[in-house]
Amino acid sequence: MVSPTPGDHRPPAGRAVVSSNNVRQMAAPYWQRRRLWVLEVTRRREQVTTRLFILPLAVIFLGLFALPVARSLYFSFTNFGGYSSKVAFVGFANYTALFSNPTILTGLSFTLVYALGQALVVTIIAIPLAVALNRRFVGRNFVRAALFFPAVPSAAVLGLVWTFILAPISMGVINSALGAAFGVGPVPWLSTDLLARLSVIGVGVWSQVGWHAMLYLAYLQSIPLDYYDAADVDGASTVQRFFRITVPLLAPAMTVSLVLLVVFGLQVYALPLALTAGGPGYATYTISQNIIQLGISNAQYGQGAALSILFLIMVAIVLLVQVTVLRRREARLR
Amino acid sequence: MLSIACAVAFPFYYIVVNTFKTQQQTSESPLGLPTSLNLTNYKNVWDNIPVLHSFENTLRVTVLSVFLMLLIGSMAAYGIVMRRTRASKRIHIILLLALAVPFQVTLIPIYQFFVKVHLVDSLNGLVLIYSGGAIFCYFLIQGYMLTVPYEIIEAARIDGCGPLRMYWGIVLPLIRPVLVTVGIFQTIWVWNDFLAPSIFLISPSNYTVVLQVYQSVGQYTTNWPAFMTLTVLSLIPITVFFVVMQRHIVSGLAAGAVKG
Repeated sequence: MVSPTPGDHRPPAGRAVVSSNNVRQMAAPYWQRRRLWVLEVTRRREQVTTRLFILPLAVIFLGLFALPVARSLYFSFTNFGGYSSKVAFVGFANYTALFSNPTILTGLSFTLVYALGQALVVTIIAIPLAVALNRRFVGRNFVRAALFFPAVPSAAVLGLVWTFILAPISMGVINSALGAAFGVGPVPWLSTDLLARLSVIGVGVWSQVGWHAMLYLAYLQSIPLDYYDAADVDGASTVQRFFRITVPLLAPAMTVSLVLLVVFGLQVYALPLALTAGGPGYATYTISQNIIQLGISNAQYGQGAALSILFLIMVAIVLLVQVTVLRRREARLR
Repeated sequence: MLSIACAVAFPFYYIVVNTFKTQQQTSESPLGLPTSLNLTNYKNVWDNIPVLHSFENTLRVTVLSVFLMLLIGSMAAYGIVMRRTRASKRIHIILLLALAVPFQVTLIPIYQFFVKVHLVDSLNGLVLIYSGGAIFCYFLIQGYMLTVPYEIIEAARIDGCGPLRMYWGIVLPLIRPVLVTVGIFQTIWVWNDFLAPSIFLISPSNYTVVLQVYQSVGQYTTNWPAFMTLTVLSLIPITVFFVVMQRHIVSGLAAGAVKG
C-alpha cells in the first residue's frame, strides 16, 4: 500500500495499529532486556539509599522528641517518684495538684506576662527603630551593630551584669545616678514584686529589640519605594505613610517576629534566674523553673511531667492561634 | 540614633571600664574612665578561675554539636528533597511538629535516661542533646535545597553519579550559603545555652563558659571589678565570632525575611 502523500507516516486506516516502538521492544534480544533490568535495579537501589539519608534525623526525632514526649505523657498519669518501684496510675491527680500549687500558678502567670509583655514592647519599639535605621546617617553601621549586639551574649550573663547595674548600693549605677540627679533613695528594682517583674521584662526587651529591628529592617528593604513616591504625590504625612504603608507591608515580618518572641518568651529561663533568681519570693518564677524544680530537683516526676505536658499544650495553642490570626491579618492587609 | 545606640551599649561600656579599676575606684566613680591600664583584675581572675578550660569545654561541645546538626539536618533534607513522594511530605509534617516541642517538655525523661546510661555530667551527653537542633537545621536547609536547579542534579545522575557522591560532592557545595547561616545561628545558641549545662553538668571541670560565669558570681558578690572582668573575658570569643560573621548574620536575616 502506498502512502497518500510522501512524508505522511500515519498508519493507513483499516489495519491493526502496532506502534513500531512496541515491536522493537518485544523483539529486543536477551542482553538488551537484561541491561534494562540492571538499570531498573540500580535506580531502585539508589532510591533506597537516598531514603536512608533520613535515618539519622529519624533516630533523633524518635529519641529526643517522640519517645520523651510519650514518656512525659505516661508519667503525668502516674505517681512515679523515681525511687519506689511501685508505679500506679493516678488519673488526673497530678494535673489537679498543679492548679492548687501557688508556686506553679505564679510561675504560670509570670511566664505569660513576660512572654506577652516583652513581645508587645519589642514590637512597638522595633518597627519605628527599623524605619529609622533604614535612613542614611553618619555611623549607621556602628549603630546597627551596637543595637544588635545585646542579642549575642548569653541571657544568663546579661542577667548577671544587670543585677550589678540595678543594685541598690552605691555601685549600682542606675540608683546612684538617680540619687545624684533627683535625690531619690535607692529604687528597689529587683526586690519588690512589681519592679522585679518589670525589670526582667525591661532587660528582656533591651536584649532583643535590636535583633528584631534588624529583622524588620530586612523586610523594609524589600518594600518598593514607588509606594512612598505615590504617597508623596498624594500628600500623605509621615505618620500616615508609617501607618498606611510601612506597617501593613511589614505584616509578614510581624508574623515571624511575634511568633519567635512569644514562643521563646514562654520558654524563658536563664534571664530571670540570673537577674532575680525567681524572686523576690516567687514573683519572677517561670514555668521552666517549676518544671526543673519538680522533675529534677524534687524528683516529683509525675507532677513535673504533668506540667511539661500542660506547657506543651499551651505552647501549641499559642502557636496555632498566633499563626492563624497573623496569617489572616497578612491576607487582609495585602 | 547615636544616643540610642550608646544607651543600648551602655552596660557593655560599664563592665569594660570597671575591669581596669580597683574596688575602691569602682565604688567612687563607677562610670568614669580608668585612670591607668590596670590589669591586676585580669591576672587575678585568670589565675583563680579556669577560664581557658571552660572555653575548651564550650568549644568542643559547640563544634561537635553544630557539625552533627548540619550533617544530620542536611542529610535528611537531601533524602526528602531528592525523592518527592507522598511519604516525604508526611515525614516533613511530622518533623514540623517536633519544632514546636520546647526542650523543657522532654527534659525529665531525657534526664532519667541519661542517668541510666551515665551521660549526666558528660560533655558528650550535652552534644547528644544539642543534636536535637538538627530538626531546625533540616527545615532551613530543606527550604534552600528546593532552590538548587534540578538540571545540575539530573546531569550528574546521567553521568552515573551515585547518591553518596551526589550528596557530598554536588549538593553540599551548592547549599553552602545556607549551611553557613544556619551554622552561625546554631553556634551562638549552643555557645550561650544555659538551661542544658545547668542541669546536665555537675563537676566544675566540665563547666561551659556561661555556667562558669554563673557559678562564680557567688564568689564575687563583694568584688565587683573581678566579676566584671570574668564577664568580659567570657564574652571575648562570642564577640569576635559576631564581628567576623556579622555580614553573614545580617544576610541570613534578610534571606529568612525574603522567604518568610
